[in-house]
Amino acid sequence: MRLLFALLLAAASGKHDWLGSEMPLPLAVRTPQDLEFKSVAEREYLIFNLLTSGKVAWDAGDFTTAAAKWESLLAVPDLEVSIDKVVRPFAQEARRKAGGKAGDVPPPPAPRVSREESAPAPSPRKREVTSVLVEGTVSGGGAAGPGGAVVWLRRTDGPMPKLLPARKVVLQRGKAFVPRVLAIGEGSSVVFRNDDPINHNVFSLAPHFDTGLYGAGGEKEQVFDKAGVVQLLCNIHSSMIGYLVVVDTPYFAQADATGAFSIKGVAPGQYDVEAWHEYASQPAKAKLTVGRDGAKLALTVAGDRQPPQFPPDKYGKPRQQQLGY
Amino acid sequence: MIALALAILMAQEIQSSNSDGYTPPADSQPPLHINGYVDLGWAKAQGNGTSFAPGDMRIPADYGVDTFAPAVNSRGDVASTDSGGRFTNGFLPRSVGIGGYPSFLINTVDVDLRYQPSTAPLMLFTRFQLLPRVSSAGENTRVLVEQAFARVIPFASQELALTVGKSDSVFGIEYLENQANLRTGVTPSLIARYTTGQSLGAKAFYRIQIAPLWTAVSVNLAASNGGTLVETLQPQSASLTGTPVFSGRLGLEVNLPSLEVKLGLSALDGPRNDQSQPGVRQKALGGDARLVFGPVELRGEWITVTQDEGAGDKMNGLGRQTVVSKFDVRGGYGQLGLGFDFSGAVRRVAVYGRYDRRHARFEGFTPITVDRITAGARVDLWESLAMKGEYLMNRELAGAPNVANDVVTSSLVYTW
Repeated sequence: MRLLFALLLAAASGKHDWLGSEMPLPLAVRTPQDLEFKSVAEREYLIFNLLTSGKVAWDAGDFTTAAAKWESLLAVPDLEVSIDKVVRPFAQEARRKAGGKAGDVPPPPAPRVSREESAPAPSPRKREVTSVLVEGTVSGGGAAGPGGAVVWLRRTDGPMPKLLPARKVVLQRGKAFVPRVLAIGEGSSVVFRNDDPINHNVFSLAPHFDTGLYGAGGEKEQVFDKAGVVQLLCNIHSSMIGYLVVVDTPYFAQADATGAFSIKGVAPGQYDVEAWHEYASQPAKAKLTVGRDGAKLALTVAGDRQPPQFPPDKYGKPRQQQLGY
Repeated sequence: MIALALAILMAQEIQSSNSDGYTPPADSQPPLHINGYVDLGWAKAQGNGTSFAPGDMRIPADYGVDTFAPAVNSRGDVASTDSGGRFTNGFLPRSVGIGGYPSFLINTVDVDLRYQPSTAPLMLFTRFQLLPRVSSAGENTRVLVEQAFARVIPFASQELALTVGKSDSVFGIEYLENQANLRTGVTPSLIARYTTGQSLGAKAFYRIQIAPLWTAVSVNLAASNGGTLVETLQPQSASLTGTPVFSGRLGLEVNLPSLEVKLGLSALDGPRNDQSQPGVRQKALGGDARLVFGPVELRGEWITVTQDEGAGDKMNGLGRQTVVSKFDVRGGYGQLGLGFDFSGAVRRVAVYGRYDRRHARFEGFTPITVDRITAGARVDLWESLAMKGEYLMNRELAGAPNVANDVVTSSLVYTW
């Protein structure tokens, strides 16, 4: 909200249509990927508005407004060096013409010296790398292959960004959970939607939850606020098995059928890595150093575990799948 | 300005996942599943391992005692059926032949093959069981095709399952945990001999859910060559009369979030399948109830069985028998269990107690009444190992001589 308020304030004085005064941007947010996209777009939109509306004010002789716009722009974290280089002289001049001092303009970001790199010192104008890509492959998983493996990173040398809870959907379709394996962040909710023409139920023994019965088109939502693996079952159809992997870090991804995965927005640093797979009795673990250029990772998960031969009912009693009930 | 900077920083803190889930392609799942279990045991029965009393000279010897009482494993095999040379008439369980000596046992080596293609509502299932018997005094080692059937679920919108082949009983509830890895305890009840036998034929299961009430009603019907007696008491795999035995169960289940109640009524009617005349009938009625509330499980079952007198010899799983009396029995059991789940290597610890009672009468012979008090514990380790220990206190209440036939038995079941 504060971001939107600031954006609105920043754009309020512009009368030019091409400045695009509409805020917030009308971009749909249905998934975390949508949210990530919108965040990037709004950042670029903000930079453009501050940059150009400052120039419009400068051209109109409104140096107070121009100085305010450009000073806001120069305060944007991780602003590209090329923009800083162009705008800073204008901002200092606008502030001077508006009756202030050039020193009122926000200073350029202080150089950050890595603990591991004592020399040479980075340039004061050099942009700090705050998020990079971690990508890799998972192999193993037995006959089922590595698809669906959930990989997550936990930083060991610093704090991690907060995790934004998401809202995901798991279908019951064709007497199966779709997707069969889903990774979610702690605090996220899952909507269980019945796409079959028959009744279904979703339950887990640990953590315990039970949606009760619901028919075609019905939905039940459940929040998962504790990290761990949740085995999803249906009390009616013993063959239905699915998994939620609830993680307590924002850095996670699922491998595709080939085992490939990528985690975006990872801050450089030291990490513990874990990979869970349905057919592995234990998660694979590794250490990872994420540098300024990102990191590549290769993990192998075991294939030593079978799906439960006798999936339990919601009271924990084993059921024989061959019976069909 | 500060608000703007904070807002941007907050926006940067927000991270989102790269996960939209994963569903393996339908054809990536292998259609053939091979599973099974190995059931190893140790048991010690009192006396000579039988229920035959030394001074009891009545014959047939197995008509005057409960020969199934000193059970040592999940199959209901007893420590011994050695009658000391006295005439018996085939009302006997299988025996592991250890007598009154403590002994380790290989009860069952089970292999299940389940073929279930993802492209068809069809499943083929076979259950082979190797029964190694190391004592020359008991049964011979053999391989049993305990089940072999095809199952079709013809409608995606209905809970209807049709089965053809040799499969589990539909009578009562004890067949649901007839295998060593599924049964909470070690040994079956005193009435399991009447309800848990597999039979060759056709079955239909239909269930309708009443979603607002968290309730379901089910019907399970079977038409088979034999009834639901265990395989020593009837030749299940062939029809001696050409007339099927019909059996069924009507069930009601209430599946509340923390309380499960299941009730059932079962019935069976058809020819005695140890006779060749279809007019010689067998009938059975039963009721069952299960209640689960938190760690507490309470279950019970009651039955009554009648069999007509036969006109000639009878042919059962132990061979040709000469006496074919009218027979009736009633009995039941109640079991109270308490189970606790854990997340470490020890997955579950359960203790249980069961009370069985059985009254049986062969026409022309002394009716007998026996009961049994069973107490035991089960510990499940990891995902595949179960350790069970059990004490059976068998008592002859009326009609049968008192005999020392209590049993201490245990089981180690590895499921794979």
